[in-house]
Amino acid sequence: MNTRVALKVGSLALLAVLAAGCGRATDVTVYEPGVYKGAKDPLLEMHATAEHKALLQERLTMGQTDR
Amino acid sequence: MARMKFLCDSERCIECNGCVTACKNEHEVPWGVNRRRVVTLEDGVPGERSISVACMHCTDAPCAAVCPVDCFYTTDDGIVLHDKDLCIGCGYCLYACPFGAPQYPQKEAFGVRGKMDKCTFCAGGPEGKENSEAEREKYGRNRIAEGKLPMCAEMCATKALLAGDGDMVADIYRERVTKRSGRPQSWGWLTAYQEDV
Repeated sequence: MNTRVALKVGSLALLAVLAAGCGRATDVTVYEPGVYKGAKDPLLEMHATAEHKALLQERLTMGQTDR
Repeated sequence: MARMKFLCDSERCIECNGCVTACKNEHEVPWGVNRRRVVTLEDGVPGERSISVACMHCTDAPCAAVCPVDCFYTTDDGIVLHDKDLCIGCGYCLYACPFGAPQYPQKEAFGVRGKMDKCTFCAGGPEGKENSEAEREKYGRNRIAEGKLPMCAEMCATKALLAGDGDMVADIYRERVTKRSGRPQSWGWLTAYQEDV
């Protein structure tokens, strides 16, 4: 009787251990970007101007629209 | 505010690899590094599709989120750039990027990869004066500072690859789809939206 109980408990424990391996965490870790620590890019100032944006838009219209 | 975006029209891409060659030539990209590549699905099977892939300059860039040294920054209109002086070549950005954009120039023992290299939307990097020798050597040519758009898109013979103001790119694509009289057959459409959309 004791052997039977021990076997049952043992198999249940084994099943629990095996089943634990099948689990999969569904939580997604979301990271937020940090603050840039590198050198300053002079393009950032130039790129923010309306003239430069207009220039790039004109370039797109000239070269990539369908004719 | 519009953001700079790439769009590859899979109906037009003929897998000529002109964009890849143009990019490598313009920026003198070393052997083993491909800032841009053409991916073909179901190659050789009728209905095969090709698309040109590089850094997609994500709005919420996962590479920037995982970078342990915070070497990424985004320009006013969404071009994602990085500082090679800060990069430690850890490779986290490669694992985070859904497009496989980050490239590493070295393959050595103990996982030494070298500084990460990726498409800059032809906007160079933070290296002093625009289009300086140092900037060209490290990041490639800065066409954006010259008022030009990425070389890959400007060289595309079939105009499959579009690059520029996202709103304008969307308008060009929408017009094409209307002319083709059907729904957009861009790659992944059916997977994403099913057949009844």
